[in-house]
Amino acid sequence: MRMEQTGKIKNDFIVCSNVTEEFPITGGGSFKVAEDLEFTVRENEFLVLFGPGQCGKTSILNMIAGFDLPKKGTIVVDGRKVEAPGPERGMVFQTTCLFPWLTVMGNVEYGPKVRGVKKGERRKRAQHYIDLVGLQGFEKSFPVKLSGGMKQRVGIARAYCNEPVVMMMDEPFGHLDAQTRYLMQEDLTKIWQKEKRTIIFVTNNIEEALYLADRILVLTNCPTKVKAEYQIELPRPRDYTDPKFLKLRKEISEIVDHTL
Amino acid sequence: MRTKTPAQERRDKIVYGVLAVGIFVGFWYAVTKLTDFGQIFPDPITIIANIGDKFINPIGKATLTGHILVSLRRVMLAFTVAAASGIVIGVTMGWYPVVEAVFKPVIEFLRPIPPIAWIPISILWYGFTEMSKYFLIFLASFFVVAISVYSGVKSVDPMLIRAAKMLGAKDNQLFTSIIIPSTVPYIFSGLQVALGNSWASIVAAEMVQSNEGVGWIIITGQQSSNMIQIVTGIVCIAVVGMLLVMIMRGLENKLCAWNKQGR
Repeated sequence: MRMEQTGKIKNDFIVCSNVTEEFPITGGGSFKVAEDLEFTVRENEFLVLFGPGQCGKTSILNMIAGFDLPKKGTIVVDGRKVEAPGPERGMVFQTTCLFPWLTVMGNVEYGPKVRGVKKGERRKRAQHYIDLVGLQGFEKSFPVKLSGGMKQRVGIARAYCNEPVVMMMDEPFGHLDAQTRYLMQEDLTKIWQKEKRTIIFVTNNIEEALYLADRILVLTNCPTKVKAEYQIELPRPRDYTDPKFLKLRKEISEIVDHTL
Repeated sequence: MRTKTPAQERRDKIVYGVLAVGIFVGFWYAVTKLTDFGQIFPDPITIIANIGDKFINPIGKATLTGHILVSLRRVMLAFTVAAASGIVIGVTMGWYPVVEAVFKPVIEFLRPIPPIAWIPISILWYGFTEMSKYFLIFLASFFVVAISVYSGVKSVDPMLIRAAKMLGAKDNQLFTSIIIPSTVPYIFSGLQVALGNSWASIVAAEMVQSNEGVGWIIITGQQSSNMIQIVTGIVCIAVVGMLLVMIMRGLENKLCAWNKQGR
């Protein structure tokens, strides 16, 4: 297990500078997703990217993950420029993307396995993260037999188990029902407090953003830019009905673009 | 609505299945007994009795068991070779664009030709040998397996490839740990169709040229105007064909448990 950082926390752990991204449109021309986007992420920070639907949040994650490369500008993670996907940058997908032919254990240990970690060690590590996300007893289940919330727990354990320096979460709770969603938010906070990682979490739900974040970046519509930044100092676990929480919620809601 | 347990559902299925077969056989019996159809077609009891008898007394030079085993051996040999090569070609075709460009048009061109159309060629090339039958069975199954496996590789979810890359999988690991397992259901559906095709074409091949096998039973029945023997052969083909598909499905359920819904 990675030990808690005892040294200095790196402030410029992830640096996006001048990032411009565009996609070709069928029939000619191109659609600008982001233009001269700039932001940094602190080490072990829980950063939430919050913005209207379709504002390019997923594109930003895809670029940090290395699935897509920006047209212009650079992204540097822990001192290394992003050029391809790599195990040091983990991702939790909205649609879970679990491997259906592998059991929960098989999914969680997949990362260490392809990277050549010995069976005994990776089993131990996978078990640790399965326990961490609260899925003990389901090690041998196939994803098809799990509920939506449980699948996403596997997704989180799978990303954690590879011990990445940053974990990206792309609206991971977007498909869950409201009740499960609250529970997952609570548990994710606990998991992250137990084992700190740098997390970049994308959502279009203001309540979720406020509940989870150390810091929220409010994004504009495409081409996306950082419209505002909020450092959230509320103590955890947070209370959705705390007056301070509600005040922030109102304030942020009012500045978000609601137009398309 | 009350939901049923899997055990109840299975029991219901068996009950309905037996009931349906029973009604069909009863109808068959009634028609042959009550109408003139009985003049030109044997009733089910005669057929069942004859099948029982032919397990002991030979038709030609072998008993029914012997004939079925001869046909089965031919199918199994050629089918195994065809399945193995079909899987290999299908997978490489799906994975390497060059192989796809070379093989796909050829396979698409040859695939629609029914195996029976190859019978004259098989006789001219291989005469009345076992090889001529293997040749036909190979053609009947190879293309089906190759195309099915190919489309399986093509329809691997790109998001799963993405997830695997994100977790650190290299290209060769992507192939063995993502492409192959997600293709397995397609491999099985190809094998199932191909096995059915193989069984159907061995019968056709034996009807044209052979001196033993299930197809031979039917054709000699025709030559001696023995309707009972013809229907006996047909029932054997149906039962064995059904058993083959059931075995294949059982194997699939075992190996693709992850692909099945339900708890």
